[in-house]
Amino acid sequence: MTSDVILVLVIGTALAFDFTNGFHDTANVVATSISTGAARPQVAIAVASLLNFAGAFISISVAATVANDVVDSGVITPTIVFAGLIGAIAWNLVTWYFGLPSSSSHALIGGVVGSAVAASGFDVVIAEGLLGKVLIPAVVAPLLAFLVAGASIGLSYRIVGRQRPGIVSRGFKYGQVVSGGLLALAHGTNDAQKTMGVITLALIANGSLGAGADPPVWVIASSALAIALGTYSGGWRIIKTTGTRIIKMDAAQGFTSQGAGAAVILASTHFGFPLSTTHVINGGVMGAGAAKRLSAVRWGVAGNIVVAWVLTLPAAAAIGALAYGFTSLFGSGAVGPVVVTVLALAAIVGAFVRRAARGAPVPVQSEGGARA
Amino acid sequence: MSSMASIVETKELVQTVVFATVAGIGVTAIFSVAIWGAARFTDLSQEERRPAAALAAGVAALALLAVLAAVVGGVIVMTSK
Repeated sequence: MTSDVILVLVIGTALAFDFTNGFHDTANVVATSISTGAARPQVAIAVASLLNFAGAFISISVAATVANDVVDSGVITPTIVFAGLIGAIAWNLVTWYFGLPSSSSHALIGGVVGSAVAASGFDVVIAEGLLGKVLIPAVVAPLLAFLVAGASIGLSYRIVGRQRPGIVSRGFKYGQVVSGGLLALAHGTNDAQKTMGVITLALIANGSLGAGADPPVWVIASSALAIALGTYSGGWRIIKTTGTRIIKMDAAQGFTSQGAGAAVILASTHFGFPLSTTHVINGGVMGAGAAKRLSAVRWGVAGNIVVAWVLTLPAAAAIGALAYGFTSLFGSGAVGPVVVTVLALAAIVGAFVRRAARGAPVPVQSEGGARA
Repeated sequence: MSSMASIVETKELVQTVVFATVAGIGVTAIFSVAIWGAARFTDLSQEERRPAAALAAGVAALALLAVLAAVVGGVIVMTSK
């Protein structure tokens, strides 16, 4: 009975994380379309929600990595998974509050690793999986998106450079409908799977599934729904940072950064690398800006984002470890997770209320402001 | 070095880099050709150079089809495992 209560809390918390992942990360997916004027914010977000939902159903490679390749599922308990999720949600809220596009994926993995280490020591970490499937792809993916977007925009300007700006801009805006959709689909395939992986890990820890099991259909469907709802709820502050503060984008840059991002995420998903959509799209945006003019990138903002990326894994791990320690103060029963859940909900409501009082929607760039 | 190579999934990582590079740059380049074709079609039509305009329209249509095929094919290949 106690373990079932904890399992229900873990699943609820994981879906809450998935929801925060939606409003936190997916904002990056639609930011470029919105900032170039290729799509209206409400339409872009609604379409991204639907495509995230669809994307969640088309692969489970990343879920398998999160469930089986990062920490030893044999010694994991539902309470460890719960504390890891709290670490990830707390870090997501902090970065969301300050409008920093950090990685929800690395927050999740960092939180779970931190709580697992606090509970069972460093032996519980599968170093090969953490390094080979998480850390190295985490470094390679944004650099790759940066280079691909940079090369793409250079080539694109050479091809269309002598044509009339109006038709070129319109063409790339139409293209952004497809590239933005593809990026949303890619996001769903990679990000929703992380929640599936964590719920599967908790089900394995609880004995409800065998070791190495794939996520059940209800886990896939509920994760897809949670990320889609989170996406629809929007992430206006981060849209603003990504869409307007890193570079002032034209439609061609928006298209190339989205295309590069989608290509990198889909390729990584195929091989089960749980990378961050945030890292990749920001890498693409910076690449598209830097290729046109190095000074076009607001490197100060980009630097803040890089700092948030670097801090994410250790910070989420530390909060996850603290959450596990705090939960354990109440013994091994369900009291600890219940108390932490109540405290976390209070913190989330408080953050939303404060942010709602201060937040403002993104100004959409005017037609004349979008250049190609 | 070899133990590092065994930890890092080198083959998968290289394939990811190759696919993302080819798809990202390739699709953008072909789509740019489609836009170039559409822009040339508009200009040449206004100049009443119909054969050249038709050729430009053909280039634009072919490029657009190639982009759609690449996107659909890419999604199918990348998500089938």
